[in-house]
Amino acid sequence: MEGLDIVKSHYVKELIAKGTREDGRGMFDFRNITIIPNVISHAEGSAQVDLGATRVLAGVKLQVEEPMEDTPDQGNLMVSSELLQLAHPEFESGPPSPESVELARVVDRGIRAAECIDLTKLFIEEGKAWSVFIDLYVLNYDGNLFDASTIAAMAALSSAKVPKYEDGKAVYEERTKPLELKNYVVSTTFAKADGVLMLDPNIHEEAASGARLTITNDGKVIRAMQKGLGGSFSPKEIESLVDVSLSKYSEIRKRIAPD
Amino acid sequence: MASKANKPQLIVDGKRLDGRALNELRPIKIQASVLKNADGSAYLEWGDNRVLAAVYGPKEAMPKHVQDPVKAIIKCKYQMAPFSSMGEHGRSGPNRRATEISKVTREAFESVVMLNDFPGSEIDIFIEILQSDGGTRAAGITAAAVALANAGIHMKDLIYAVSFGKTDGELILDLNMIEDNYSECDMPMAIAPRNGELLLLQMDGNLTKEEMKRGMAMAIEAGKKITAIQKAALQETYKKTEADIKGSENGV
Amino acid sequence: MPGDVIFDKPMRMDNSYVENGKTYAEVMGLFDSEKGSLVALEGAWSPRTDEVVIGIITNSRNQVYEVDLSFYGRAILIGSKYDRQTYKLGDVVQAEVKDIENRKTVILWRPRTLYGGTLLDVKATKVPRIIGKANTMIMQIASITKSNIIVGNNGIVWLKGGDIALATMAIRKIEDEAHTSGLTERIKKLLDTRQVGGTNKEIA
Repeated sequence: MEGLDIVKSHYVKELIAKGTREDGRGMFDFRNITIIPNVISHAEGSAQVDLGATRVLAGVKLQVEEPMEDTPDQGNLMVSSELLQLAHPEFESGPPSPESVELARVVDRGIRAAECIDLTKLFIEEGKAWSVFIDLYVLNYDGNLFDASTIAAMAALSSAKVPKYEDGKAVYEERTKPLELKNYVVSTTFAKADGVLMLDPNIHEEAASGARLTITNDGKVIRAMQKGLGGSFSPKEIESLVDVSLSKYSEIRKRIAPD
Repeated sequence: MASKANKPQLIVDGKRLDGRALNELRPIKIQASVLKNADGSAYLEWGDNRVLAAVYGPKEAMPKHVQDPVKAIIKCKYQMAPFSSMGEHGRSGPNRRATEISKVTREAFESVVMLNDFPGSEIDIFIEILQSDGGTRAAGITAAAVALANAGIHMKDLIYAVSFGKTDGELILDLNMIEDNYSECDMPMAIAPRNGELLLLQMDGNLTKEEMKRGMAMAIEAGKKITAIQKAALQETYKKTEADIKGSENGV
Repeated sequence: MPGDVIFDKPMRMDNSYVENGKTYAEVMGLFDSEKGSLVALEGAWSPRTDEVVIGIITNSRNQVYEVDLSFYGRAILIGSKYDRQTYKLGDVVQAEVKDIENRKTVILWRPRTLYGGTLLDVKATKVPRIIGKANTMIMQIASITKSNIIVGNNGIVWLKGGDIALATMAIRKIEDEAHTSGLTERIKKLLDTRQVGGTNKEIA
């Protein structure tokens, strides 16, 4: 019900002005995170992530394909997302919405820019390379899909196994070698409501916010950023959020996969 | 489709490749009320199938011109995740197969849901096949029935679905992917347990009338087990709370 | 469970149907032998006259207001010349069901605007438990949390002031445990231990 959510977001705004949140956490705290790896055994890698009540399932498939013409010595990475209709009453059917496309592209950029997967290592032989498909399935929407999706994608990648390659084809029944990851990224999404900044907004906090900023980092440097919604941030605010983002890396990194 | 020439022997000494008897179901597990936003939901594991079903409604039918002033309408969407099968990455988005399954599934539920109780409304059923290993439409209907009951939608019955087929001259219940690929026929059915009426019925291959009768009897017999698992899953959502209370009162 | 036989003879009662001389359940529910009725455990709200509901004004035209009650039908509130109050889009109102047309259009009257506060959506089937016998449950929550609370039969609860987080926690607990006994005592215990100044302050 739309009207109900609007009333709730007014209330959340009042709380934010007093420096508190609906569920009592601190302004730069994540909600509870639960990660279940390997939920889909048919996929090469998978993970289901709960970030509060937001739930995302990431599936990784590997497939032998011809490399792209301009990068004949590399494999491919493809990230897609589906805002499934069962995740929220207002998610609609039809072609991917701009929100869904943005989500997939922001997750893709972080993983690609940090070279989490060395695409040259996906090369198999002349005319053959692995394509890595990451599908983000949003199962329940309660705000901040960006961070839940990046965690799910990274956890699914780190659980992924490469099929055996034989006679130009993948042998999916034989998967033993882990997919090698060179780097890890963690995404942190902030919202700004009435000048107050907060991490990991829930659905009502998102509705109460005028601006959103996602910062993806690999523990050392920033790897991707995306500002969303109509509002704006000052350079000073962005600087301070980068500090918060970097400070969150190790906590989340540990959860994605043990070293 | 696999070529019939390479067909492996699917029945050895009266047992199937996965060790099942001819009339034996794969293991089935159902959990109800798994999604927070949906009005009703169910997660089902049926052999290697993994299915998530969710129900929204009854809510105001949209767009308005689809509203029926005297009864509810049902919308149903069945789809398969691109990572659901052993093998290559699937294409996302609707295809002819998924469109047909969505339609026959919707029609199966139209005859059990009390549509007249909610005039002008719509009830949405979403079936997501997260992992597939044969018999996904039956698994989807069985899960969706639980999700509908979990949403409190008025229904004449808690329906289930299952299929049978024929291979090596024998009838087999509940075909998995490899059996489905090589079997001589496949007949999925959705059944109302209270009167044994068929609400969904599809079939292709070759089947004598005698075999059809035996196969249907096999499906109805198996239905007793499926119905019991569905009901237990719905009851579990209430038992779990009782257990939690006891836990919390013992000083946790 | 849907399809289960409740009686071997035809009976008229809510949440059931008659077929071939037998009475069957059409929902998952509990049979109340005292009242002879089948109480649904889950499901959407079906309007009844005289019920108090809470909704949001979504449309207005010439003193005729559409109110979103978060159900499948429509609700209309007609302003009268005796009622000088006007409503804006987005206003939260409490009202009573005066009449129901064709089972889906609800006519409201006796409206009252609820200013500020927040809303909580609960399952309509759990509303009687949240209110409690002779309002005991909800009065207990309101007095300890110092919140103003109004429960709409359509499953919308309005809360304002006091410890809303604690009141919300108590209402959610009732929703989850509505089918169990000894609930009033457990809610009292929760409220006593979690309230501000209590031994164990925590926020939901």
